[in-house]
Amino acid sequence: MELNYLANLSRYVPELIVCLTMVMTMIVEATYENGVKSKPLMYWTAVIGLFAAFVVLCLNLHQPATTAFFNAVVIDPFSTFVKIIMVLGTLGAVWLSHSSTDIYNPVKPEFVMLGLGVLVGGMLLASANNMLTLYLGIETLSILSYALASLRKNDERSSEAGLKYALYGGISSGLMLFGMSHMFGVLGTIQFHGIAANIANLSQTEILVLVPSFLLFFVGIGYKIACVPFHMWSPDVYEGSPLPVTAFFSIVPKIAGIAVLLRVTMSFFGNEGVMQYSWVGLLQVIAALTMTVGNVSAINQRSIKRMLAYSSIGHAGFMMLGAIVLDEVGVRAVLFYGVVYLFMTMGAFAITSFIQNKYGNDHFERFNGLIYRKPIMAIAMAIIMFSLAGIPPFSGFVAKFNILSAVINKGYMTLAIIAAINSVVSLYYYLKIVRFMVLKPQDDQDAIVGFNFVNQSVIVLMVIPVVVLGVFWSKIMAVADGAKLFIQ
Amino acid sequence: MTGSSNLLNWILWMPILGVIGVLLLPKAKESAMRWWSLINTAISFALTLVLYSKFDEAVPGMQEAFTVKIPWISQFNIFYNLGIDGISLPMILLTALLFFLCIMSSWTITKSVKGYFALMLMLQSTVFGVFMSLDFFLFYVYWEVMLIPMFFLIGIWGGENREYAAVKFFLYTFFGSILMLVGMVALYYATGQGVDSFNILALSGGKFSDLTVSLFGATVPFAKLFFVFMFIGFAIKVPVFPFHTWLPHAHVQAPTAISVILAGVLLKMGTYGFLRIAFPIFPGASVYFAESIAWLGLINIIYGAFCAMAQTDVKKLIAYSSVSHMGFVMVGLAAMTTEGMNGAVLQMFNHGTSTAMMFLMIGILYERSHHRWIVRPDGTKGFGGLYTQLPKFSIVFIIAMFASMGLPGLSGFISEALIFLGIYQKYTTITLLALIGLLLGAAYLLWMFKRMFFGEVIESNKEYTDMNGREILYMLPLCVAVIVFGIWPAPILNIMKSSVGQLVSMLSKF
Repeated sequence: MELNYLANLSRYVPELIVCLTMVMTMIVEATYENGVKSKPLMYWTAVIGLFAAFVVLCLNLHQPATTAFFNAVVIDPFSTFVKIIMVLGTLGAVWLSHSSTDIYNPVKPEFVMLGLGVLVGGMLLASANNMLTLYLGIETLSILSYALASLRKNDERSSEAGLKYALYGGISSGLMLFGMSHMFGVLGTIQFHGIAANIANLSQTEILVLVPSFLLFFVGIGYKIACVPFHMWSPDVYEGSPLPVTAFFSIVPKIAGIAVLLRVTMSFFGNEGVMQYSWVGLLQVIAALTMTVGNVSAINQRSIKRMLAYSSIGHAGFMMLGAIVLDEVGVRAVLFYGVVYLFMTMGAFAITSFIQNKYGNDHFERFNGLIYRKPIMAIAMAIIMFSLAGIPPFSGFVAKFNILSAVINKGYMTLAIIAAINSVVSLYYYLKIVRFMVLKPQDDQDAIVGFNFVNQSVIVLMVIPVVVLGVFWSKIMAVADGAKLFIQ
Repeated sequence: MTGSSNLLNWILWMPILGVIGVLLLPKAKESAMRWWSLINTAISFALTLVLYSKFDEAVPGMQEAFTVKIPWISQFNIFYNLGIDGISLPMILLTALLFFLCIMSSWTITKSVKGYFALMLMLQSTVFGVFMSLDFFLFYVYWEVMLIPMFFLIGIWGGENREYAAVKFFLYTFFGSILMLVGMVALYYATGQGVDSFNILALSGGKFSDLTVSLFGATVPFAKLFFVFMFIGFAIKVPVFPFHTWLPHAHVQAPTAISVILAGVLLKMGTYGFLRIAFPIFPGASVYFAESIAWLGLINIIYGAFCAMAQTDVKKLIAYSSVSHMGFVMVGLAAMTTEGMNGAVLQMFNHGTSTAMMFLMIGILYERSHHRWIVRPDGTKGFGGLYTQLPKFSIVFIIAMFASMGLPGLSGFISEALIFLGIYQKYTTITLLALIGLLLGAAYLLWMFKRMFFGEVIESNKEYTDMNGREILYMLPLCVAVIVFGIWPAPILNIMKSSVGQLVSMLSKF
């Protein structure tokens, strides 16, 4: 078979745009001399590039599914949708890195370049159609993330975060590779559709080998999603990294991990049998644990960043529920959740970031009386918090409603109740922020520099979808419904 | 869209217009905000009176003329579906009246006036939404959204311990409603995701008696499980005995107007939930659990009365009296007889007016005294001889107290009498014990009255001034209501009769 590069590349335009943007930023960065205060040209290059990728992805959303590069990648509406979420997440993080002072000026370009690289990895992961691409995606994503985590070179905690991330990441991808090699040994192929076909008819001994190898394989994905036994790195890394990086980490790698989990689950375990039973059982236990541990640990945090890190573990558990149901309703629910989660997380981190810039830390007390100082920001944060907890009429509620309905539809009543109770637990700590912002008197009157007109407008722009999607979610639901997974 | 009238839409969205108006006014124009809110709630009240005048008493179900139905979320067959029947109309009237009076009583609020009135009007809209929704999803949304303004109203304008009270209120109610959400989604799938899957009316009638569901490895009857879920959701709101612990905190810490709304309207949302959702959708399970509900209601009556008796804070006393009085409603509902149900719905209305009076009176007193101790913690009297000091106040207070006690000739008597008539046909023991509760009610109220109003005027009470014109103005409609409906309950009873009758006859088939 001859490979027609041009035809294949034409399906890969968004990724190419992101790669090109990365190269452009490098060139632009090289034209600067050290110590130039902000790097607007660089920033705008990245923003325009990402926006172009976003537009192209939106145009491709309704294209029929195709595979490219000898079946190595699949471009289906599902992956395009996930990529849109990731591109928007990166866009938000780039904006945040530019506007806040968490990342020192000299390394701001590095953030943009590495971030774009992580995005390429994530996009690859979302499109992975064989084990090799999957591994390639995970590694591209991970290795660049390690560098991102330790972006504040002179900060001990940041270095610690990077090292911790690298160690955990190295071990888990090693285990994953080990699992994959067993899978190749038993199933004789690395192509997803081949694996799916071979899983349907296995002998007893093959199953005995495959079950543990899938367990090992799950370690790699679980580590990216930060679900429970593999979540230990996440709060420390999130806390140690500069805030824009944390915001970025809690969106792009997580969504990519969830996407790959969905694809693997949906394409491998569609048929009933021991394999499906074990995999879904594993996911159920892990999802329940992830939600519970994430939410319970978040209760007693002092730093908002750390609290959001734990809460994002909880949300990952919620999104995993969508994979368990093994049908299109679940996929659609997860995609909707992803969109909503993107806006909520980005908004929450942005507000926290500007507070942290002002005071040097992000303890709850720093939000005291924000409603009297910056009412719009306080209202925005309150909306995000209510939404994260799942209170209507905000979109977080709709997202949870969709997941719950997918789960209940399949009769997993116990899981639904665990998820519901977790929402109540999460409300406690989300309310804590609202309490500090609204019910406490303000400590000082100083202006918070970060909340200038432009930044406030961007934050409001992020909050608008949180509200609008909570009331009028029919349209976006239809889009998510159309974003079907391509299963050969 | 079916139905020709937009009246329900107007009533539902009128307060939101008010919110927009308040938000647009500049911060310094406090007086304008007050007047604007007052006019807005007055219009709402007038609109509900129009609704009352157009209401057709003979129709047992939803009044077709007012029904609004617009598709909202097509994928899930969720509709923006509003409608009223004889059970919701009294509640809507009560809501509009109490909010109107509460805005008047909130004239003295000075802390962030803008936020206060905006949240207050927002709350009104959500309460209307709960009482009008015929779509379960819409109902749930309103049921939950209501928590947000309530949280801030208690948390910002409340008493010393307001944060704790607000958070407790929020968490408790959210816990209850999230179980309801699970039940709601389960119902949606149990009906096959059809066009009527969220339609409360279409879900009614006991369609789920044969289904089962697996939970923690066990197989459980569908209807009973989700009845219990919804029961917890609604019971927390009422509140029914083991779930009542949020109430004393929330009531005591909330500012006067919010206590009035809480006791007058929000508690009724719980019992309304039973009437609109839990009973009609799971009639079999409701009949199965009826006796337990009656016993829980009885515990409410007796336990609430004893708790009230033990209080030295007069607002807390009234808060516990609400627990006791809502027990009567629960008992009346559990009787599932025509008299009992009618009595329960009437008691919902009457308790709304009488307890609102009590809380408003205490609010008026608090503005003068800045404390609420009947007996201070150090053993000295907090109030004494108010009767000679504040004659007008005392007269209104006596009316409120006797109405809430259930003295013949005032509104509480009729509803309680109906409830007893209803429950006696089913559970004799409970009737007898509940009568003791009635006696206890008289005891704690009269004892409180004796301690506060009789005896020597104590030194600190001497500078209190009597009720001013504004205060009399907003107490007057409630005085009229408790007296008129005590003698002539027909205007309320007539509108609810056929709707309640329909529900009772449906329940009697199980």
